[in-house]
Amino acid sequence: MSDAISYPDVTQYAVPFFIAAILAEFLWIAIKGRGGRYETRDALTSLIMGAGSVASGILLGFIAWGFFMLLWRITPLDMGTSVWAIVTCFVLDDLRYYWVHRFGHRVRWVWASHVNHHSSQHYNLTTALRQTWTGTFTFMMVVRAPLVLMGFHPALVLFVGGINLVYQFWIHTEAIGKMPRWFEAVMNTPSHHRAHHGRNARYLDCNYAGVFIIWDKMFGTFVPEQEGDRVDYGLVHNIGTFNPLRVAFHEWVGIFRDMTQPGLSWKQRLLYAVAPPGYSHDGSRDTSEGIKAKHLARNPQDRGTPGFDAS
Amino acid sequence: MPLDLLLIMVVGGVSLVALILHLTGRSAQTVLSAEDARTAWHRHFPDDEVHQVMVSEDRHAALVQTSVATGLLWSFGADTVARHLIDFDVMETDHGLRVEFHDFGTPGVSLALEPRERERWQQLMTSP
Repeated sequence: MSDAISYPDVTQYAVPFFIAAILAEFLWIAIKGRGGRYETRDALTSLIMGAGSVASGILLGFIAWGFFMLLWRITPLDMGTSVWAIVTCFVLDDLRYYWVHRFGHRVRWVWASHVNHHSSQHYNLTTALRQTWTGTFTFMMVVRAPLVLMGFHPALVLFVGGINLVYQFWIHTEAIGKMPRWFEAVMNTPSHHRAHHGRNARYLDCNYAGVFIIWDKMFGTFVPEQEGDRVDYGLVHNIGTFNPLRVAFHEWVGIFRDMTQPGLSWKQRLLYAVAPPGYSHDGSRDTSEGIKAKHLARNPQDRGTPGFDAS
Repeated sequence: MPLDLLLIMVVGGVSLVALILHLTGRSAQTVLSAEDARTAWHRHFPDDEVHQVMVSEDRHAALVQTSVATGLLWSFGADTVARHLIDFDVMETDHGLRVEFHDFGTPGVSLALEPRERERWQQLMTSP
């Protein structure tokens, strides 16, 4: 079983393309007067978060790599490096991405890492680069373990994960409306992902896909972007800082403060870390279910429409 | 990719984008009317009933009397951020007021207020 397989780090090689595409999108918006918004400090924060995420990968990547290589030595399977192995690994890794992303919105410990990606009130190509610095601490690397145990080399697993992230760059734009119907049916697109970034009650906890939107359709989390409900980007409670350190760590600090409140049971302390975002021991905050219920109380006509239960 | 090349591309690219955005006027703070402030408050807190809105003279902040508590809404780049004034400290500065929220993600905001306006805002913020 070979250990000496290597693939390029596609996210690093994509950096010049990212910068060129951001400038092109900005020019398009400036010339056409539509298709999105840019703001200096917001974009700068997003870009610094992106650079920090790459740095964090360089500094902490050895932890996940060591874990995967350990699994690779244990597994008796080897799927090889054929084109079919790469394609199969890519599709399975996209399924892995769907679940990690879903956990990222439903488990506060993982949300603490992912929240920064949603912390901009803008939606443009720089938002795509507003990535986590703390992904290693969520331990979501375990969701990749089955791929390695199935015989996909860790280098291949990380390679297809990199391609997945690069794919997701272009869907962070308002400059593209809808793609052809067949494409919208199968692939994650700017329209589907705009809905995912919405803080509107309708769009909370939907469209977790990375590359293939079919996972959301299979697992019941797909909500199409609605013409009558324009996506409002950002967090339910938007943060008031452009400081990258605060953006990166604010939810971790929030978890620590909540867990260390006096007078809580151990169960309540644990739930502040692992329950869905918005959990509170005294019901003083709203989870996405509570927000949707309150929205329906104010807007009963929305009941049964995409993103809202019928009952 | 060699690290030094990656570093040059990242620093150069980020600087270039920031410079272009600034030089094309994308650093401007949003300007609020009373109606904008009311709409923005409902965007942040859709369950609140807004009773009264007082926009600052520089139009970058508003005090909002709501059914929950007095709230503060302020320009945040091209957008806004809003908070109920429940757990906070307020202090005078040379140019107005500084409001601290004891929140790592929203540490506080400096408000530019005229002297008379500052006195009135401070009173409204701290009165029960």
